[in-house]
Amino acid sequence: MAIDAVDQAVISQGLIAAAREMGVKLVRSAYSPVVREANDCSAALLDRHGNVVAQAELIPMQLGPIGATFRPCAELFPTDTLVEGDFYINNDPFQGGQHLQDVFLFSPIFFEGVLVGFGATVAHHLDLGGGAPGLNPDATDVHQEGIIFPPSKYNMDHDWNGGPLERLIRANIRVPDQTIGDFNAQFAANGIGGRRVMELCGRFGTDVLMEAMDELLDYSERRMRAAIRELPDGVYEGEDFLDDDGVTDEPLRVQARVEIKGDNVIVDYEGTCDQVGSNVNCPYASTVAAGLSCVKAVLTSPDIPFNEGSKRPIQVRAPYGSLLNPRRPAPVRARMLSAYRAYNAVMKALAPSAPDKVIAAGFDSTEIIVLSQLTQDGYKIYLEILGGGYGASTHSDGCDAVDSPLSNCSNVPIEAMDMEYDYFRVEDYSLVADSGGAGRYRGGLGFQRRYHILADNVTFATYSDRFRLAPEGLFGGADGVCASTQVLRGDQVINLPSKVSFPLEKGDILVARTGGGAGYGEPGQRAEADVERDIREGFISQAEAAE
Amino acid sequence: MRVGIEVGGTFTDLVAIEDGRVKVAKVPSVPARPDEGAMASLVAGEIDLRSVADLVHGSTVATNAILERKGAPVALLTTRGFRDVLFLQRHNRTQIYDLFYRKPEPVLARRDILEIDERMSGQGEVVEALDKAVTGAKIAEFLGAGQYQSVAICLINAYAEPKHERQLAALVAAQFPDLTITCSADVTREFREYERTSTTTLAAYVQPVIDSYLRRFETELGEQNFAGRFSIMQSNGGRLPVAGMSRNAITSLFSGPAAGVMGAVRQAGLSGYGDLITLDMGGTSTDVCLVADGKPNLSGETEVDGLPIRTPVLDIVTVGAGGGSICWRDDGGMLRVGPESAGADPGPACYGRGGEQPAITDAHMVRGTIRAEAFLGGAMDVDGSASSRVFKELAEIFDVSLEEMADNAVRVADANIVGAMQLVSTERGRDPRDYVLVPFGGAGPLHAARVAEELGITTILVPPNAGVLSAYGLLASDFLQYETLTRRIPLGEGAAELVRTLFDDLQQRATTSFRDLGVDGELNYTYSLDMRFIGQAFEITVDIEAEALRELDADGLLALFNEAHNRVFAFGESGLHRAEIVSFRLGASAAPDVVPALNEGIGDEATRGQTRIFDQGEWQDCLLASRAAVKDQAEGMAGPVLVEDGTSTIFIPRDWVGEVDDQDNILIRNLGKD
Repeated sequence: MAIDAVDQAVISQGLIAAAREMGVKLVRSAYSPVVREANDCSAALLDRHGNVVAQAELIPMQLGPIGATFRPCAELFPTDTLVEGDFYINNDPFQGGQHLQDVFLFSPIFFEGVLVGFGATVAHHLDLGGGAPGLNPDATDVHQEGIIFPPSKYNMDHDWNGGPLERLIRANIRVPDQTIGDFNAQFAANGIGGRRVMELCGRFGTDVLMEAMDELLDYSERRMRAAIRELPDGVYEGEDFLDDDGVTDEPLRVQARVEIKGDNVIVDYEGTCDQVGSNVNCPYASTVAAGLSCVKAVLTSPDIPFNEGSKRPIQVRAPYGSLLNPRRPAPVRARMLSAYRAYNAVMKALAPSAPDKVIAAGFDSTEIIVLSQLTQDGYKIYLEILGGGYGASTHSDGCDAVDSPLSNCSNVPIEAMDMEYDYFRVEDYSLVADSGGAGRYRGGLGFQRRYHILADNVTFATYSDRFRLAPEGLFGGADGVCASTQVLRGDQVINLPSKVSFPLEKGDILVARTGGGAGYGEPGQRAEADVERDIREGFISQAEAAE
Repeated sequence: MRVGIEVGGTFTDLVAIEDGRVKVAKVPSVPARPDEGAMASLVAGEIDLRSVADLVHGSTVATNAILERKGAPVALLTTRGFRDVLFLQRHNRTQIYDLFYRKPEPVLARRDILEIDERMSGQGEVVEALDKAVTGAKIAEFLGAGQYQSVAICLINAYAEPKHERQLAALVAAQFPDLTITCSADVTREFREYERTSTTTLAAYVQPVIDSYLRRFETELGEQNFAGRFSIMQSNGGRLPVAGMSRNAITSLFSGPAAGVMGAVRQAGLSGYGDLITLDMGGTSTDVCLVADGKPNLSGETEVDGLPIRTPVLDIVTVGAGGGSICWRDDGGMLRVGPESAGADPGPACYGRGGEQPAITDAHMVRGTIRAEAFLGGAMDVDGSASSRVFKELAEIFDVSLEEMADNAVRVADANIVGAMQLVSTERGRDPRDYVLVPFGGAGPLHAARVAEELGITTILVPPNAGVLSAYGLLASDFLQYETLTRRIPLGEGAAELVRTLFDDLQQRATTSFRDLGVDGELNYTYSLDMRFIGQAFEITVDIEAEALRELDADGLLALFNEAHNRVFAFGESGLHRAEIVSFRLGASAAPDVVPALNEGIGDEATRGQTRIFDQGEWQDCLLASRAAVKDQAEGMAGPVLVEDGTSTIFIPRDWVGEVDDQDNILIRNLGKD
């Protein structure tokens, strides 16, 4: 029986609204700044088989593979054995997870005793133990990065709220009050999603609801395929490089082969370098998310609901043992950096056949800043995520100072930091002039933050990229400007590499400067008025304009 | 006589009431000079200003100044190191897969911002003192070189301690007495520098525009010997005497939708209903708002053109579903309605002004639920065949009949409205079935019953003259001001006493301010606290009754907070975290000395007729009745009935029955579900 078209529209909207509400409430009831201010979390509703049907549009990276993170749980603990109060948990990078900090929770939704779907949330947890607070850049295996939750099933009544799982986690992490608070916010958001799905069941019946879920997947698939068909068939190649693995100075190659055939796309990362001994390895689920997100962003209009159906036409392959599909126990904490190069390689491959849909390379890195301090009262951990400039396009300049495409974190307001952290103070947060590559349209600007360190025994840990290899301009546009990190100590200027841990002293000034995006088209073709505005506003200097 | 004039984007509405007689006028707005439209409405309504005791005005002047970037040239003074806060914004994207993403454009340029050497800590202590001599000279040079009319001052952590802002304001005032000065501490005292800077800058940007607009307006009133009281509508649902606008212009944003809600509150209140969801459907969009016990929900945040504003506003959710919303098929084969709108020009196809895409108004023409001969009370010629033509094309694409196509489009529009209503109800932890739906605006009463069915709402109340309810709302609104304060207080020993002391101070402030503005009479006060668990960043508003405030202790506060937290997030006290108070809000209001009732216009005859409509998949015979005819039928009139009252069309479908109560409201009830 075909579902009534209007019922379909109503239920689809209801599901999407419910997922959005889950996301809002997760953020609003969370405790750590990385979730409540930076919004490093996501939420989705899954059908009873674990297919994502609707998602809160928060972080593309976390959303792409939620279904893949779910499946190992359901294989070990079949869905027909679930009872009220059960939940699945998974953060295992080698069984559908990403990096350990992103913990996925799935809560089944029952209506009149029938399993109809799952509420799912993922949040980046501030600290999950491991070799250093918040981030251990020196980890040589995954075990040094924190506690692993293999795909498992627990129950709220038995295991949480003071139960054994909660106690186990609490004992193994450094800031338990914030972290357990964030877990509770995840459970609550799952509950909200469940409640909304039950309301829809009450109005339409479970059969109609399940049918509507199926149709929503088919609908996204149809729209995705329609978009893919517009591209000429062919095989396209692209490559990009990471600066290094943080241990040697050797660039790391990422290679993508994109095949478009009718309404299907195959992305194959054959030719990518082997996995490395440091934390830039990218688990397969993250690689899939990177490839999918790029294809989706380039080919389709932003309003196609992204769900399991929209993934059906796209296959992503990566050789086992490579940087983009590492073997256990590779460390993976900084997987975003390699994921971005996987994203860039696909973008470059698509550029010649879709020049008006792609953008030039941007800073396209996740720069993590961790400032931690151990005091008599325990650990204090501050963590934030910095983006930079976007690449320009045939339509406009790249966006200035914004989180990179696979993520979507907000900044932590200066006033939120000042309220809670007494061992540093941000004294400057500004755009970096001249950091965008010139072009008919220029790349977006990077930005900088200056942290004045107010106490001794503060440790800085970071990972970033594009410190040495600039994002490349497109169709004649100039490259973007690289990022840098410096410590100013008295008269001394200490240049730090992109992936490092470094002890700070009271009085130090830490300057984190993120990179700009690359330009698009010949700089000579730039409109005079745009150049003048950039000079007047101080976005570019006279010297830069002259060139 | 009491007169309300509401200037909207397309029409300017006037409602005049004297001795129970209601006069209504509707004239085209003059977007470039809104006061001309307002004066024209006075002429159209044949109003002699000498006899007007109370004139209340709402307009889109502030909103348009921002949308069209026609505010005053504004400079911003901020803390050293933070010149770019308005450009950096929050570092996120509202469309996560949009590669060409652009941030919302601030209303000033980077060169209009001056950094000041000073710094306050998050606890309100001076980290770097402000050197007045040096700063004064810098300000003189900077402002002297620009052509500014207005100065915004927003410093880091000034929400905790505004001392430096005050010093800067004094320095500016001393050297540039003609400039309008707006300090963040006077506009919003919430933390998060981007949102606060945005709010302060926008306030400074619109203030001179509003000032000169109101001066012109007052002059014109003076020329016509107006001697009554002139007050202005605010987005918080209350009005202020015009003098109050000289430092509060930002509160006049979105005053139109707020006035509509207040009109609905008043009119439904007369019939004894206080728990309402209002539904204002016009040409391009629908506004919904939840009202609990006669008090509309407030929200601390809103935005214009993507730019955030933090000041108390009615919690109105807007969705792009109106009479002009375009119906279309997307590339996945789904029927969509809006957000694109045909607007007023070209308008729906039936307007005959070149609109070639099917709009919701066209769908109603096809279904027979809007009749060409009764459009705007018969004042406008429309062409039903054009509606059929454009819908026929869409019907062929979907392979359904013409009227089924139109019916489906209306149902999808209804679903969009339902989504907005869930946002203000279920998402805020309220069950819509506990509320009465109050539709108004040109199209609200046409869609109300089906929307109600979707949400399980069983009672609808349609006020008289529903098409001009916003203008009436101006007259029905109280004088209203909020005083706010940010002060973090963990719940525990002594917290309740401190709460009482601080509320006493706020109450004193609000009272003095009202007396200065010449508002006499009894003041009513409301008290609310924004609270959270320590460590959370977002607060939940906890309302406290005046009586309870006197008796309250920390345990009682915690219980109130837990209940509110549990309602919104579906969980409460876990024993893990303590709760704290973050900010205080005191509302002070004074009722206008007389609130006229919005009764029937004169000359409404009891007429009945027959028509045919297509609803829910089939053609039906439908009664055509005037309001007076419904009123005559004491036992109620069973649907399907169309009631045309000149300002809007009311639809009573099958399974619903309508009756007019003694306040001239039409009550529509669902049979068998009551």
